[in-house]
Parts: sequence; C-alpha cells; structure tokens
Amino acid sequence: MRPRVAVLTIIALLLATGASMANPSGEGDADRDYTCGGSCHGDPALSSPSDGTVTVSVSPLAFSGTATAVHVTVSGMSLSGNRLLGVFLLGSANGNDDHPEDHGWSILQDPNGGTRNYVEVVVPPSDSVTLTWVMLAPVQPGMQTLLTEIHHGSSPNSNNWAYSALTRGYVVDVQPVPENLPGFAFDWSPEARVTGDDSPTVISTRNTTSVSVQWMLEDEWVPHNAEVTGENDEWHVMLPATIGDTRIQYQVTTSNGDFSIVQPWLTVATEPAAFDGEIWGARIQALAFGLLIIAFLLSLQARLSPWDGHHELDHTEEVEATESPPEEPPGLEPADDYWSRMVPSEENPGWLWDPVVEEWVADPNNPPEGGE
Amino acid sequence: MFGAATFHAAMAEVVVGSMVLATLCAMGCAIATIFPNIAGGRLSSERVMVTMDKASIAGALLGLVFMPIAALSGSFAADNVVNNALLYNKFVYTGLAFGFWASFVIGRVRLGPGIWQHRSLSALQGATAAMAMLMTTMASSIGGKLVRGESLFDIMPVWLPSDSATVLNPILSAVLLLMGIAALVVVFRLGPRAERIPLD
Repeated sequence: MRPRVAVLTIIALLLATGASMANPSGEGDADRDYTCGGSCHGDPALSSPSDGTVTVSVSPLAFSGTATAVHVTVSGMSLSGNRLLGVFLLGSANGNDDHPEDHGWSILQDPNGGTRNYVEVVVPPSDSVTLTWVMLAPVQPGMQTLLTEIHHGSSPNSNNWAYSALTRGYVVDVQPVPENLPGFAFDWSPEARVTGDDSPTVISTRNTTSVSVQWMLEDEWVPHNAEVTGENDEWHVMLPATIGDTRIQYQVTTSNGDFSIVQPWLTVATEPAAFDGEIWGARIQALAFGLLIIAFLLSLQARLSPWDGHHELDHTEEVEATESPPEEPPGLEPADDYWSRMVPSEENPGWLWDPVVEEWVADPNNPPEGGE
Repeated sequence: MFGAATFHAAMAEVVVGSMVLATLCAMGCAIATIFPNIAGGRLSSERVMVTMDKASIAGALLGLVFMPIAALSGSFAADNVVNNALLYNKFVYTGLAFGFWASFVIGRVRLGPGIWQHRSLSALQGATAAMAMLMTTMASSIGGKLVRGESLFDIMPVWLPSDSATVLNPILSAVLLLMGIAALVVVFRLGPRAERIPLD
C-alpha cells in the first residue's frame, strides 16, 4: 500500500510540473526581431494563432526626423494566469534586422518608458490595452512600413503554446522635413526618473525658440501647464514627482515663430531607486549573522548538555585538594569540642591554655580575678 | 568551458540535495527521541537511529563543504554585483544557513551520537536542522526567482521576506562580525566545556 502511495505522489509531482511554462514571467522588455529571430515561439510546433484583435494607429505622413506616435491596441485575447502580453513593433518580418531602428526609425519612448521595440505589459481586467511608441521618423525620406506582433499565453495551456499574431504592414510616407521646423533634437530621449524625484526634466530641441509643456496624470482629462525655463534648445521643465504607480504624461509644443509643432504625448518613465547594497556589505553581513547564530546555538548546546563539569577557570577543588589541613600538635588527639582541648593551669587560675593556637584563653567557668 | 552560473547550479544542487538528506534524518532522530513509541518503536530502534545519525552528519558535512563553493560561484555568476534586494537576501540567507548547519555539525561532533539520547538536545538539533533547511531553501528559492522569475514557493501563502532587504551599514556589519568572532571565542575558550555524552 505504502509503495503505491509513494509512486502516486511522485507521479503527481511530475505531472504538476506540466503546468509550468518555459518563461511564464516573460523575458522582459528588449530589442527583438520578428518572433525573437525565430527562436522558441517561432517554431510552429510551439505556437498557435492568437484569438486577439490588434489595431494599429499611425499617421500615414511623417516628416523626416520628427516625432510621430504609433498606437497599438490589443484586445479580446486569451491570457495566461499572470495576464502577460508581449508586443513587438517591427520594420519587417524577416526574422533578422526587423527592429525599426534597422529601417531608420529612432525609438524616443516605448510604452513602458524605455526605448525598446518589444515590451511586456500586464493586461487589465478590461482585456484591452493600448500601447504607444513615440519615434523619430527616418532621416531619409521614403515609404516606410511598420508592423506589430503580439505574444501571449492561455489558461489552460496544456501544450505550452505561445499564441501569436502579426498585423499587416502600415505604410508611412516619410517626407523631407520643411526647413526650420522645430522639434526634438535627434540625440535626445526622455530621461527616466527615480520615484519621488522632482528635479527638472531636460528637453533638447532643434530650431526652437520657445517651448511650452502640458502634463496630466494618466487617467486625467484636463492637462496642466508646466513651468519651463531655458534657451538655446536646452529646456528645463518642472514636472511633479511620480510616487507609487502613478504615471505622468506630458506633451511638448516646440515653436520658433514660423511653426508651432505639438509633439506626441510622452510618459515620465519612473524607475525604482538604485539599490544601495553592495557585495562586500552583503558578504560581511551574512558572515556576521552566521557567526552569531553559531555562537548562540553552541551556548545553548552547552547549557542543555548533561555534562556536570565545572568552569574551566574554577580551580577551587584542585587547590583545595593540593592543600593539606594543619597538622595537630604531637601528642594531642583531635578535639571535637573547642573547650575540651583547653588545658587548665594551677599557676594561672582563671585561665586555660590552648595548645593548638598556643595562647591563653579566659576560663568561662572560672573567670580570672578582675573580670579580665 | 562552462559559465559560473552553470557551475553554481551544479554546486547548489549538491548542497540542497545533501541538506535535504541531513534534515530528514535529523528530524527523524529528533522525533524518535521525543516520541520513542512512534511507528511502533521502529524509528527509535538502535539500528535506525545509528543510520539516521550517520546520514544526517554526513549530509550536513557534505553540504557544508560545498556551500562556500556554491556561494562563491554564485557570486561570480552575478558578476560580483549586488544590485537588487533579492540578490542581497540570497547572501544573507546563505550566511544564516551556514550558521545553522555549522552549529548542527559542531554540536553533533562535540557531543557525539549521545546527543540524540537527550530530549532537549535532540529537539534543539532537530530544530537547528529545520531552520538550516529553511534558510537553505530560501536561498535556493531566490535563485529560482532571479533566473526564471518564479519559484515553487510562490504557491505558499506565507513565506519569509525576500523582495525587500534590510541592508546594514558595512561598518555595523563589521562590528557584528567582530561580535560574532568574540562570542565564538567566549563560547569555545571561556564558556562551559561541552564533552561527548557517553552512550547508555
């Protein structure tokens, strides 16, 4: 009976591992080609068509080097227990050189505040999520294509499949930028801020003589004006600090007298505060805790030990053993009673002779004359 | 050649495997001492007790020898950089596991197999092994969280903290380290001397 229970338990444990997928917590945001270059989920035996709906919204016209937004809305798909969704923004679907930057685009900000073309998000209970990439259009004018792909799991998912879908290509006509058009500097990208940091956000521009900025919380409808200082295409914008899960969006308007360009909404990317531990601190702390534990437990073991020995520094018994008691004077028997060893003297009435300490003691039964 | 992470995984498996054996046997010995009539007295029979005692000390010794190797290889696998609370806690839990296992081994070596004949000492050894295994499991569980983003302990409703770390100032840690060394000197040189317990 018992071996059967043991075997069944082992089989149950082995079967339980089937519920676990290869990377159930995702791979994290990254720069990736179509289906990660054909690895893992690119294998048809490991993937299946998604049941979700993907909608892409992008302006069909963009000026070279200017900011443009790509909105991707994904809805109605099955999801795994952790509701994770991976979304690619691609310039092609070849399996290599598919990153938009391989086609001249420059990602200014991805939906998670970084600069990646693959991001992972947790889909809210509404089963719909909209992601926005803000990109600088290629410097070279021409017809450009943008595609999106999604990856997600399902629950249950006994085959450990990745469910994926690839949209059609959305064509963007990149036109030569009008001379003196104000916009973001080519090498500028939004900085990430630590939670609670309210230091000014630096914005670099080109062909710009003035900048105005509006900000609002993610779920707000009415934007607020932000204080902007600076000159010579270097601007400092005062935005509130982000705390907790709140996200702040801001929109920059670049002007120069001839043009006034409203840039796409950007998000204040918030990153956790840098961890202040370091390896030697961890090592010393770990070793200190370990030694203290050892000392405590060894003390406890000694305390509970049944050995009835004595303290190592307590040598009382050894000293007492080596020291012999004072010998009695010859001819005298050891007296039990102090007074019985006293010797009366006729020459000194009232006094008794103590032969051990060799001194006269007053006889209590016959006190010396004078009361001494 | 192989990477430090691969070597660390192999060493960690040796450590955890040995420690599981040591813990099961130590717990068996403790239970047999406290409840001598359990399983019809078969668990507390001399043959089983001797076997469990030897297996527990052998497993704990093997794990203890490989633990520093696993810790060092893990440190190299992380490029000797601690940049998050999980990794910091992995170090701390490893230190705690080392402390508990070292106490278990030293106690057994100093007091001998007779340690299992005394209820209080037997309970202390069993509890030490259990705590040591808990710390070892925490450290290895954090490894799973770091590499794969999940751990078997994710399904546990209550678990020891690992997402946030208590980072002590290195100077305070150094003071604690000195205190630990001093405490050990006091225990070994000035405290009551523990001797092997004679077997009945």
